[in-house]
Amino acid sequence: MARRNPMRDEIAIVGVGSTEFSRDAGGVSPAKLGAQACIAAIQDAGIDKNEIDGVVGALEPGAPRANQMSAILGLSDITHHSSPMPVAVFALVDAMTAIFSGQCDTVLLYYAFTRAPWNSRSAAQDPFRSYLGGMMSGGLKAPPMPESIDPSAAYTAWAARYIHDYDVPRETFGRVALNMRANAARNPKAAMKTPLTMEAYLEARMIRDPLCMLDMDIPVDGADAFILTTTEKAKKLTKNPVVVHAATAGMVGKNDEDQLPSLARHGQHVVVEALKERSDVWIDDVDVFFPYDGFSIITLGWIENMGFAKPGQAGKWMQDNWDDELGCVMIDGRVPMNPHGGSLSEGASRGTGHLREAVTQLRGDAGERQVHDAKTALIGCGGFFFNSQGAILKRL
Amino acid sequence: MSESVSDADLVERFPWVQISHDSKHHFRGWLDKKLLINRCADCGNWHHPPKPVCPTCWSENLVPTEVEGTGTVHLAMFLRQGAPAPGVDYAKGPHPVVAVELDGTDGVRFSSTVVDLPVEEVIIGLPVELDWIERYGHPFPVFRKREG
Repeated sequence: MARRNPMRDEIAIVGVGSTEFSRDAGGVSPAKLGAQACIAAIQDAGIDKNEIDGVVGALEPGAPRANQMSAILGLSDITHHSSPMPVAVFALVDAMTAIFSGQCDTVLLYYAFTRAPWNSRSAAQDPFRSYLGGMMSGGLKAPPMPESIDPSAAYTAWAARYIHDYDVPRETFGRVALNMRANAARNPKAAMKTPLTMEAYLEARMIRDPLCMLDMDIPVDGADAFILTTTEKAKKLTKNPVVVHAATAGMVGKNDEDQLPSLARHGQHVVVEALKERSDVWIDDVDVFFPYDGFSIITLGWIENMGFAKPGQAGKWMQDNWDDELGCVMIDGRVPMNPHGGSLSEGASRGTGHLREAVTQLRGDAGERQVHDAKTALIGCGGFFFNSQGAILKRL
Repeated sequence: MSESVSDADLVERFPWVQISHDSKHHFRGWLDKKLLINRCADCGNWHHPPKPVCPTCWSENLVPTEVEGTGTVHLAMFLRQGAPAPGVDYAKGPHPVVAVELDGTDGVRFSSTVVDLPVEEVIIGLPVELDWIERYGHPFPVFRKREG
């Protein structure tokens, strides 16, 4: 069965707005951060707020729902609204399909993040975040047992399997962290800009061995927002619309975290197969590469499963493509990997940072991080189990 | 013994996990120190965690079947911090968490810890067998190294 892609290049991103990403935004609610990003995106698109007839807001803990954001911003009549699950491409695809199918013409898409009491000490002391604690436990009366392999613990468990199967050193994971940190230093919005060395990585506190603190994304307060519309309308709005060439989710049936068949067949593989079939371009045509890095093992997975490196060879591949001067990967000396610093160093925006930087690069607005004449961006979003996704964005 | 435990009591005894009509047999088995894994009476396939129908043939004729509990460690990690539990002291050393591929179940894995073994000996490929410890006054399935 050939996969169809009638939406190819038909939906455009015409506005981007972001707050800073910080480890503590102070006394600012996720609703306010979200509103700030939305207003900036609407202004960036140069449209009137009454032109928005679709609102899509990612279902993040503490974030305002689409109906709440519509009320906050005093929007006009809305004919499509939804709050899709994280990570970023679910909401992107929802916005695209709503426009393409005629449910609406112009979508405000936003993602707002707030550090939760269970992953930040200062957040745990914020009385206005205490209600989030109940969301984590899912209404259960006691915390889960340490042996529960939940999604985040599962990445560590499979990282151990990766090390076992391919006999790689911890430096392989460290190189992912170093790449993100060096890039974040060139991104004013990033939360973590202090330089990182391999020695510091190897000495960092272990959380779940074999992964340490620097293998896990950094909880932040912040928000991203986008305006999407038809490519036809986008051409009238802006000189430089960025279009979504292809996008997909991917999952295998057997996706319970500890029952996943193997590292050789999971959600990322489904994403890669679907993207390839739906796209005219592939990795040799890419100018900027965005592998998700909620955990460093996920990045290794994308590098290999996209086809940049053979299974178990992502570490060697990063080494071969390392730019010593910049301190990060430059594929063939030209293509950076998460030039914004990714979730590990810009902040845990669950892929929306990757999406925003892709748009920023394709518009030529990335300042000192700008890839010369960037035309095509490849995003591998999410991990192995039930949130793998991918997207290819192009400058029209 | 577990037959006499009401659904409400079962939920009360395992407050840290969401038990459903589909998984209640599995957790009742814990009270009898039996590891029950769902097997389809029609097609013979095993699955875990417990699901409402057989993922292979969609039969609802599922039998929670006691397994011996021998197997091989497939995934292993070591928690330096984590959720609290009786007998787990992260200050004393890393707490191992493993996913064990159970013998005779066509690759079904069951996740728990390995007891009474130095952590450096808890490795992928280790042969293990099921045992039971007590947590919050109820049996809790764990693994220990299988000799021979």
